This record gives sequence, structure tokens and C-alpha cells, in this order.
Amino acid sequence: MTQLEIKREAVRKPFNRRRKACPFSGPNAPKIDFKDTKLLVRYTSERGKIVPSRISAVSAKKQRELATAIKRSRFLALMPYVTT
Amino acid sequence: MRLYESVFIARQDITTTQVETMADEFSEIITSAGGSIKKREYWGLRALAYRIKKNRKGHYVMFNIETGPEALKEYERLMGLNEDVLRFLNIRIEEVEDSPSIMMQVKTDRPQRSGRDDVDRGERNSNSEFSSSTSANEKSED
Repeated sequence: MTQLEIKREAVRKPFNRRRKACPFSGPNAPKIDFKDTKLLVRYTSERGKIVPSRISAVSAKKQRELATAIKRSRFLALMPYVTT
Repeated sequence: MRLYESVFIARQDITTTQVETMADEFSEIITSAGGSIKKREYWGLRALAYRIKKNRKGHYVMFNIETGPEALKEYERLMGLNEDVLRFLNIRIEEVEDSPSIMMQVKTDRPQRSGRDDVDRGERNSNSEFSSSTSANEKSED
């Protein structure tokens, strides 16, 4: 019984990754703004796609804000729709 | 009265003074209807991320406006008719930031940032450390 538990612990440990906090929540979080392209490009892939929140750890509320900001920025040709 | 943020892109081959007069005309529409311009910024001739009507560059102008919906409608209509305007975006905002927007800050920060990058590169390969530091100095003089 005890041996089994130890084994399970050993297996689980490498997968026990801490959940990353949302980069836009907290006291000195950056403001999401469509003009701030330097910030926004960090949340797009190399091709210019918006990175899913499950990868970037952005909260759902902030991800919605981020998506509209990126889309506005694209409309004004500050960011590309596609990069080939 | 509501607060709006308005950005428009003007064609690349018109001059800066023409852009200024255009911006004056647009702000005139708002002020004559009883609104006011809270902030006005000219971001300069920027490269577009993709081509718009065969243009690769454009003059960006931003306004922060306090106005009613009727004046804004007229303002948007006239922008759409103006052939020198490639694109415009008007969005509602909750408050006007007093400091100049990020676009203006980027321009002033750039020499510093490039200097810092050079220093980083110098640390990685120690041979070019001297040359990179001199190039950083040249940039800071500009």
C-alpha cells in the first residue's frame, strides 16, 4: 500500500506544473490597448494568429479584450492579418 | 456627450501640412457641432502592415473627442467621402488619458532601446564588445 503511493507520487511529480497566473490581472498589469502593438504581438503566433488562452494563460475576460484589441490593430494596419 | 477615440490613415503621397489641414477640417466638424477635441496626435508616416489601396505607408492621426452621436455620424460620413483617407476607426472610450499614447512614446524610446540591444549582443560574443559600444554611442548622439 505504502509502496504503491510512493510510486504514484513519483509518476505524478513531473506533470505537477503550477498554473500560470493571467498576465493582465494583478496590480501592475499592462493595459490592453489596440495601439500597443509591442504588447499585442506577444499574443500572436508567428503567422499572426491570436494565441489561444490555454497556452498564453490569459483569463477568459482578458482574452476577449485582447482579441478585440488585436482585431482593431489589424484593421488599422498596425498589425498584419497574415504573415507568410 | 460621449468620449470617442478616432484614428484615421491618410494616403502616403500627401504632405504633412496637407495632413494637418485635413485634421483641422475634421476637428472643425466636431467643434462646430458643440463637441471638443480633447487630444490630438500625429503619429507620422508609418509603414502599413499590409497594402491598402496600393499604399505601403500612411499618415496616422489620432483624436480624442467629446461629442454627441449626430456630429460623429457626420464626421464619419465625411471621412468616408474623403479620398485621401485610407481608413478610419472610431471607438468609444471611458476616459481620456492625459499622457501621450504609446505610439508617441515608442518614437522617443527607440534610440535607448536599440542601444541596450547592442550592449546585450556585445556580452554574448566578447570580441565585438568594443565595436558595438561605439555604435551605441553614435546612435545616442543622433
